[in-house]
Amino acid sequence: MIQELDARTKIIIVLVLSTWAIFFRNIQILLLVLLVSICISIFLKCDLKGVMYKTKKLFKIMIIIALVQSIFTKEGQAIFIINGFPILTYEGLVKTVEFILRVAIIVVSASIVVTSNYREIVQGLVQWKVPYEIAFMVSVAIRFMPIFSQELKDVVTAIQLRGIEIKKIPLGKKIKVYSYLFMPIVSSVIIKTKELSMAMEMKAFGAYPQRTSYMVIQMKKIDYIVISISVLCLLSSIFLYLI
Amino acid sequence: MEKVFALKNVKFHYKDSKRISRIFEDISFDIFSDEITALIGENGSGKTTVTKLMMGIIKPLQGNIYVFGRNIKEMSLGQIGKKVGYLFQNPERQLFATSVYEELSFVMEIKGYDKKYIDKEVSQTLKLLNLYHLKNDVPFFLSGGEKQRLALASILVNKPKYLVLDEPTTSLDIERKEILSNIIDKLRKEKIGTLIVSHDNQFIERHADRIIQLSKGEIVNDTRT
Ligand SMILES: Nc1ncnc2c1ncn2[C@@H]1O[C@H](COP(=O)(O)OP(=O)(O)OP(=O)(O)O)[C@@H](O)[C@H]1O
Ligand SMILES: [Mg+2]
Repeated sequence: MIQELDARTKIIIVLVLSTWAIFFRNIQILLLVLLVSICISIFLKCDLKGVMYKTKKLFKIMIIIALVQSIFTKEGQAIFIINGFPILTYEGLVKTVEFILRVAIIVVSASIVVTSNYREIVQGLVQWKVPYEIAFMVSVAIRFMPIFSQELKDVVTAIQLRGIEIKKIPLGKKIKVYSYLFMPIVSSVIIKTKELSMAMEMKAFGAYPQRTSYMVIQMKKIDYIVISISVLCLLSSIFLYLI
Repeated sequence: MEKVFALKNVKFHYKDSKRISRIFEDISFDIFSDEITALIGENGSGKTTVTKLMMGIIKPLQGNIYVFGRNIKEMSLGQIGKKVGYLFQNPERQLFATSVYEELSFVMEIKGYDKKYIDKEVSQTLKLLNLYHLKNDVPFFLSGGEKQRLALASILVNKPKYLVLDEPTTSLDIERKEILSNIIDKLRKEKIGTLIVSHDNQFIERHADRIIQLSKGEIVNDTRT
């Protein structure tokens, strides 16, 4: 029963988790939040493995960016020194780990919403008086996520097929190679948005101010309980953190 | 004749969360390097899938695939790409750079080639494909046919030993098709063969030494012309 939570309840859970991920700057707490997200995602029978697998490449890139960032962080106690230059500082390392944990929390919690039917998400938000246009955009963003991770994979494949052995080239050049992921992804976003908006206009999206819907979704008792607990957790944790 | 590809008892299915689409149960064939082979078959017969298997983009469930005698299980995509140039059915997917010139130069730059050499090679290849006047343009804003030729140029500039072209003529006009034809002829004289996936009978007739016909994941015809 609890596996069939309302789409809105899932969105609230994700919002709470990602607020934590952004708010906290403490590795232990971030680790705890990650664990909680993983537990929830497993409990709700989300396709955690699939999401992890699909974002594997994204993670690699994130880790490289984070490492580079840490190399350029100069404040703090040096851990690793070459010729008197601090290459890796304690401060830099902490920031890197924090960053990676944050990304991980957001990815894991995203797996929670991806399992919802996008119709339910739109309908749920609309019933909460969220303007249809915004609800629709949210659902589109969620629906396109798996497509983008697939595309990212395709681009990495295509770059390698140009005869580049990613594993063998030095870090500096690796970053340059990864910078070439940007262009195809941006262009694909532009193309998709254009096509979608054209298709929507042709179907007279937004032509009438009032929309009717056959589907009405109902939150159950369990949804109210879960939402209350989530919000309570969020508020109390922030309160405890601030005092 | 040297074998470029050897497929031995390859089995492949696409799997997504909802269904399994069975493509190849057991397919075997060889492709030779110094001839032009055409791969034909109806929409959805598995032509693109088989080229992706050959390039190591997707992995067979059973069986083995060899590229120039080496099992692709032991090769990285980069190693395969150095030997065989692959033109995607949708060439948009293989353009990354912010200018036409850079599209051709960046691989050589990453490999650390000399600037003068890069400039010479890039200019020559762009001229060959009638793209030189666009060298400062953004690939994303090119027309379909220009994108297709640019993708081809970006493959040729790496000097592959063999080419796999998935529907290379779809967006080309008669004049540009002629340019492509001439390139295929010229490469062939240099003993660089091509696998052409196509529905374009005229184009196949002009080039193919051998025609392989796929239908529902099986070879139904394999003839030399
Ligand atoms: N990524 C995928 N996931 C699941 N099924 C797929 C995928 N790609 C292709 N298929 C299916 O595999 C079959 C073969 O597709 P393929 O693209 O190889 O055909 P094709 O011969 O190249 O067709 P066309 O002439 O249209 O290019 C089709 O039925 C298609 O629906
Ligand atoms: Mg195809």
